[in-house]
Amino acid sequence: MPVETRRGFWGETLQLVRAVGRAMGVTFKNLLRRPITVRYPTVKRVFPDRFRGILALTYDPQTGEENCIGCRLCEYICPPQVIKVEMLKAEKRNWAKTFTLELYSCEFCELCVQVCPTDAIVMLRSFDLATADRRELLLDKDRLHALGLQFEPSWATGNRLRDMQAPPKPVKPATHSTPDRRAPEASEGAPTADPRSAAPSSANP
Amino acid sequence: MPPLAYHALVGFIVLNVVIGMVTYVTLLERKFAARMQSRIGPYYVGPRGLLQPIADALKLMLKEDIVPARADRFIYNLAPIAFLLPCILIFATLPFAPGLGVADLNIGVLFFLAVSSLEIVGLFMGGWGSNNKYALLSAMRAVNQIISYDLPFVFAAFVPVLLAGSLQMSAIVEAQRGLWFVAYPVIGQLAFVLFLIATLAAENRVPFDILEAESELVAGFRVEYSGMKFALIQLGEYAHMIGTSFLGALLFLGGWLGPGADTPLVGALWFLLKAMLVFLVVTWVRWSFVRIRVDHILAVSWKLLLPATLVLLLLTGFLVAARGPHAG
Repeated sequence: MPVETRRGFWGETLQLVRAVGRAMGVTFKNLLRRPITVRYPTVKRVFPDRFRGILALTYDPQTGEENCIGCRLCEYICPPQVIKVEMLKAEKRNWAKTFTLELYSCEFCELCVQVCPTDAIVMLRSFDLATADRRELLLDKDRLHALGLQFEPSWATGNRLRDMQAPPKPVKPATHSTPDRRAPEASEGAPTADPRSAAPSSANP
Repeated sequence: MPPLAYHALVGFIVLNVVIGMVTYVTLLERKFAARMQSRIGPYYVGPRGLLQPIADALKLMLKEDIVPARADRFIYNLAPIAFLLPCILIFATLPFAPGLGVADLNIGVLFFLAVSSLEIVGLFMGGWGSNNKYALLSAMRAVNQIISYDLPFVFAAFVPVLLAGSLQMSAIVEAQRGLWFVAYPVIGQLAFVLFLIATLAAENRVPFDILEAESELVAGFRVEYSGMKFALIQLGEYAHMIGTSFLGALLFLGGWLGPGADTPLVGALWFLLKAMLVFLVVTWVRWSFVRIRVDHILAVSWKLLLPATLVLLLLTGFLVAARGPHAG
């Protein structure tokens, strides 16, 4: 700009020309690059292992029973308070009588997954949430179970996440408490045999 | 064929070609802009998005035509036509190839420059007739800016005219047979750059697009227009842009000259190619810079471009007086 400064007219002009060259150089470099667009509906990106998507409830693959014991930990920890659970007391184990999740207010923080003692609530590798009716995102227990069968679940489950966070404290201080000495209990993949053995209190600070 | 019918026929063809070109230039710009931002641009409508402009036009035609209640109806409705007319008229004197043009006036460049600056009448009518303070402010800014930049624009365009020693467009092209004016030592490059800058301002393009500042003026003088009237205004803007690109290609890049240019169709193709090159440079500038402040825009025009083009014109005049017109 021809405004009087210390640099003088020609200094300013030189600076301007350099700036123009730099700016146009950036756009020209971009022009030669390949577009990074992923044409979503036809091409899908690979989801990361711990993708935090739609929430769902799971069945035990061995017995075919529902995993949820209605302990309401997820309800307590949920920051936007979108989960409501009612417990059904029974002799052998407890069940969730109702389980509602208002997905339209969910903030996808994964805390419910982290606290779940029985790996019942998981997140799915899908974010196809778009709907024409808000009520379709008010999920009840059946809908949550159906979603769990529909999409692939993410790697993260409650037990895996807790294993990753901290190894159980040794009785005696070990010489080297390196992270590879993790407790082997709650082995990866296999659902917990007895839900009550995985104490919820250890996960919830 | 009587000459009148011939001219009417050629005019009809040129008009349709121009409108078709304008439609597709929007796609070109969108694709080009998308690539600069690492996107792919429109690709759903038709193969690779090739039918997108047609879809856009259809959509605009089907839109409801809303006239604001307190608008000056007559002026409001007339404005798009008054805006579009000069923008289309500028193609009248452009020779696309030897002997292929509506009218090769002996004052072709003058006609082009005079008519192209007439668009501000339609623009101001639109801003005034809308009875909208944003539209009015925007139209005032535009008039202010276009009048300021018309002088350097004309002076820069007159450098090749002086070099060629003629206002006739075909004669200017013929004068560049040996050496395109953009390659003319020092004067040619300077004039071309100044011409491009003045062009950006005259077309209200980035970085001189103060008349449609989304944050303060919404969509500028066309904020109240919808449907077909909006389409006409858009058409006019792009036609003006392409017309000026053609002028730049003709004045500096040798018009239809190029290998095999003696066949009219090849020549026209060369001309189109060069004009699109100028257009792409303009688009490139658009996606590289941010808007300049209003007072800076006027300062650039009156304190930098006007003296620079005047001096350049003077130098060219001395040169031509000393050596005679640059003959091809």
